[in-house]
Amino acid sequence: MSARNHEQWSSPPKLAEGEWVDSRIYSDQAIFEEENEKIFKHAWIPVCHESELKDAYAFRTMTIANEPVIVVRGKDMQVRAFLNVCPHRGNMIERRPSGNFKDGTPSGTPKRMTCMFHAWQFDMKGKCVYISRQEEGYQDRLCTADVGLRELKCEVYFGGFVWVCLDDNIEMTVEDWAAGALDCLAPSLNEEPLEVFHYHKAIIPCNYKLWHDTNCEFYHDFLHYHNRITGFNDAYFARKNSGFKNGHINVGSFEVQYDNYEGFHSREELSFPHLPPNHWYMIDMFPGVNFNLRGSALRCDLMTPLGPDKVMIEFRGLGLASDTPEERQTRIDHHNSIWGPFGRNLHEDLIAVTAQGSCMHPNAEKRNILQGRHENETIHDENGMRHYYHEWGRWLNRSPSNPDEEFDESLIAQSSGEQAAVQASA
Amino acid sequence: MAENHASIVEQVKGLIYQSCLYLDDHQWSDWLDLSADDYHYAVRAYSPEISADMEYMGGGLEYMRSLTQMLPKHNTDNSPLKRHCTVYKVDIADDGKSASAVSSFVVFQTMLDGINSHVDAGESRLFMIGRYNDKFEINGDGVKFTDREVRLETRRLDKGSHWPI
Repeated sequence: MSARNHEQWSSPPKLAEGEWVDSRIYSDQAIFEEENEKIFKHAWIPVCHESELKDAYAFRTMTIANEPVIVVRGKDMQVRAFLNVCPHRGNMIERRPSGNFKDGTPSGTPKRMTCMFHAWQFDMKGKCVYISRQEEGYQDRLCTADVGLRELKCEVYFGGFVWVCLDDNIEMTVEDWAAGALDCLAPSLNEEPLEVFHYHKAIIPCNYKLWHDTNCEFYHDFLHYHNRITGFNDAYFARKNSGFKNGHINVGSFEVQYDNYEGFHSREELSFPHLPPNHWYMIDMFPGVNFNLRGSALRCDLMTPLGPDKVMIEFRGLGLASDTPEERQTRIDHHNSIWGPFGRNLHEDLIAVTAQGSCMHPNAEKRNILQGRHENETIHDENGMRHYYHEWGRWLNRSPSNPDEEFDESLIAQSSGEQAAVQASA
Repeated sequence: MAENHASIVEQVKGLIYQSCLYLDDHQWSDWLDLSADDYHYAVRAYSPEISADMEYMGGGLEYMRSLTQMLPKHNTDNSPLKRHCTVYKVDIADDGKSASAVSSFVVFQTMLDGINSHVDAGESRLFMIGRYNDKFEINGDGVKFTDREVRLETRRLDKGSHWPI
């Protein structure tokens, strides 16, 4: 058989259950909304880094599952998170991406979060401290104690990332949630304070999972001349791809030969603490987070789904807070060479997922998206994606390969063999 | 003296506009030949998200030459970028040996293969806006770039680009 007709094209591939997914999971509006409700509202999300909130009263704003969120550093230097929503009329309290409440605003006084609409004010612990013309309007029926902000679960963990969860009832700490997936980089990131030096965002017309897939599988290194010329050797092909509880994976390290790319240089002189020279670790966390440490620079991708066919990806680059100006510039150069918006690799990855997104419309003829490579759980094995979709199916109770059917844990675990890998690495 | 000053201003403007034509047409080597040996190029933007000045791309003459020579080895969005540039200001040093200029630019992208060529190809979209902050040396050979800072106003860069702006 060469080219296939509709029936052949739509038939299940000659792979085991769990080794392909239905492309509908990348385009269906109902599935997208279910993901926001059942996954993103219940997962720990690293919304920013503590270096973005250096001083008391500093704040950052963001969105999780369409909910506006504000993270503030209090006078006590504690970082807290709240819904960025005024309890009075539901207005967004702070519209700026970042700033410091030490300064007053046109409607409010210094050191307060003030809703500009009716000048209600809140302190850095979310307590309402002022209702304009309170007694005249509410008499003794409602007071400031009744209308505090909605506080959210918040932890600073793993090299200073600020993690927020919308679910009050989550029983896991971030450490529990990570389930060991972050351990390979923890010594490098926890040794001394880090600092964000790069931020940019991309809004891409594709489903967020397509970006996460790209981060989870390295088989696509055929896309990148840089990775082929600096990487393809025995040590590269031996890198292990390991699954962890809760849908996380990581990819083991090897020594990258940066000098093999004309004009690029070794990163040996500026390795992160405890990281062997020019080594490269990657961690992909469920449902849409990536940590990527290449020798001298750390990258973090955070995916915010905006629709079934639209994702915002925020890219951060981090170095050590103790960097000299010269060291920082070198880290920035290393980071930008492949990961900046003008870098060699990032642009290639983004045009690839954009092209995938172009092929996955809600009414498109069914595509079976394959993830069936088995290479002893090494770099070009697609066990990372299988592991992710195993978790995804569990959270939504949908089969990734037939989303109208319920998730059958035993069937997928048996066929993909990934359960053994999780247990081994947990 | 005033005549000479006006002549240098015109040379600076001409050099900036020539650089735009070369960049528009991917004549990377010709673009870099407009520069002195100690040339430095950088794309920068201020991020109100992290409250910091950022550099997105940067390097000296040899680095930029190497980077542009390697382009054929990379997969890229081949949708052409075309600039509209206006030189707002040229300042010549008192000794007449150097100058600086500020230009405003808008870059449009005419879609080719970036998303779905059947649907999008041929459509022009705003790609980015910003300023060129340029520095020059002036000597017997004429005017050459010594420094270009591309100061971006646009920070949502989506697919980005492999090409100098």
